[in-house]
Amino acid sequence: MPKSKVYITSVGFTKIDDHWEKSLLDLAVEAARGAMKGTPKVRPQQIFVGNMFSAVGAGQEHLGALLASALGLVGVPALKVESASSSGGSAFNVAYSLVKSGALDSALVVGVEKMRDLETEEVSQAVAMAESAEYTQFVGASFAALNGLLARYYMEQLDVSRDELSSIPVIDHANAVNAEHAQFRRAITPDAVSRSSMVADPLRLFDCAPIGDGAAAVLLVSDRAASGAKKKMAEVLGGRIATNEFSVYQREDMLDFNATREAFKGAMAQAGLSTRRLGFAEVHDAFSVVGALSLEAMGFSKRGRGSKDAKEGKYNMGSEFPINTFGGLKARGNPIGATGVYQIAEAFLQLTGQAGKNQVEDADYGITHNVGGVDTTSVVHVFGRAT
Amino acid sequence: MAIQAWRIKDRYYRLIGSRCQECRTEFFPPVYTCRHCGSEIIKDQEMPKEGKIMTYTRLHEPLPGFEAQAPFYLAVVMLDNGARVLTQVVDSPDESVKTGARVRATVRRAKVDGDSGQIIYGYKFIVMAIYNL
Repeated sequence: MPKSKVYITSVGFTKIDDHWEKSLLDLAVEAARGAMKGTPKVRPQQIFVGNMFSAVGAGQEHLGALLASALGLVGVPALKVESASSSGGSAFNVAYSLVKSGALDSALVVGVEKMRDLETEEVSQAVAMAESAEYTQFVGASFAALNGLLARYYMEQLDVSRDELSSIPVIDHANAVNAEHAQFRRAITPDAVSRSSMVADPLRLFDCAPIGDGAAAVLLVSDRAASGAKKKMAEVLGGRIATNEFSVYQREDMLDFNATREAFKGAMAQAGLSTRRLGFAEVHDAFSVVGALSLEAMGFSKRGRGSKDAKEGKYNMGSEFPINTFGGLKARGNPIGATGVYQIAEAFLQLTGQAGKNQVEDADYGITHNVGGVDTTSVVHVFGRAT
Repeated sequence: MAIQAWRIKDRYYRLIGSRCQECRTEFFPPVYTCRHCGSEIIKDQEMPKEGKIMTYTRLHEPLPGFEAQAPFYLAVVMLDNGARVLTQVVDSPDESVKTGARVRATVRRAKVDGDSGQIIYGYKFIVMAIYNL
């Protein structure tokens, strides 16, 4: 089969919120219809659902067929793809690979997570499934605890201060003010981060992405299908999934996000781009420390400089290389299996000039970076303006 | 949960990990493939019971089943054979739990499965200096 160029022609998403009135399927259908209505001439040949814990959050599995049927697409092959909080990015990567290979001419990718039907403790338990049941959950280590261990190590080994660590959450909140789909649309100060309640010392509440419900969807087409679509499009230029040693505390160097580095290098090599061509990045900052270490792993900041560079303004909106242009995980929100698809939808808005007040001027290329576990699975995609 | 814990009780009670039969690197938890040399020739090996804290956190928002213990300390401990254990640090005053502190394994109640479920025991560590160890 011939290799194809791959485009995103339309996207859809819900606001990330406490959607008490809406079910998992309500959210997924709303996002999927949004993406499909944007490209009415294209019927998706396959559906990929990114989701981590619908079995726990909604007592529901078999999401592929469930969604296909709800969308009136009975007969269309439909699968769930799971890799913890990188499920959305992974689902997109599978779809992208199949369209690029020529096996599919179109695909619908939907990320969805319903978190708010659970108590906060139950959410912690569900998210902790990303780590070892026998040796991590067993000792009572939540996902926040693992990141707390990592944050202390980062601060002690590389001399990073509390205020420096706060700088990425501050950027996220500043960028979310004008993002209509963001969960928290208000600016915060570094002081607000360091005064927020302790979760897993040294990590405080405002170091941690919130709990919220949401769904996002993107429609992918091959160049053959795109010729009929005639729309503002973004091109998918490369994408790569990489894994790291499963548990962060077993890694020779806990501060080396090797999966992020390999995924980024692989995706950029496919795109044939050098880092300086990139105009923005959507970075997976489920915790402030994860954002910082990811910026370092991708080479945007030197080792130990991720948070420091953020504090000095290197990643602000209006800088040469803004990150998390709609609020990132901290302020846009982090509905686990949907997050990676939100990032991709946001990259699409940037590259098609539809980002409104959050528009990054003159950005020809951007990346999305989605992580499952603590850099256990990392997924990077590279996007460009369609020419 | 109870059967899952029973199956690996020796690992929880006695810190039975792995030793690579080719390069002799030791691991806890056990591994299927040597993380150092890639060998699949791995045998069970009891771990040394002492080590030092590489990093730690105090967790305020516990997982279900751990509410009664919160807030509590978790640490990455490097055992004296180089293996790393993720563990609770208990029965040690706040000021004693710090990076570099020497710690020793004990057996404690790990998790209580509801009001009428099983009580699961497992390893936790204490700071040695507190007990003049």
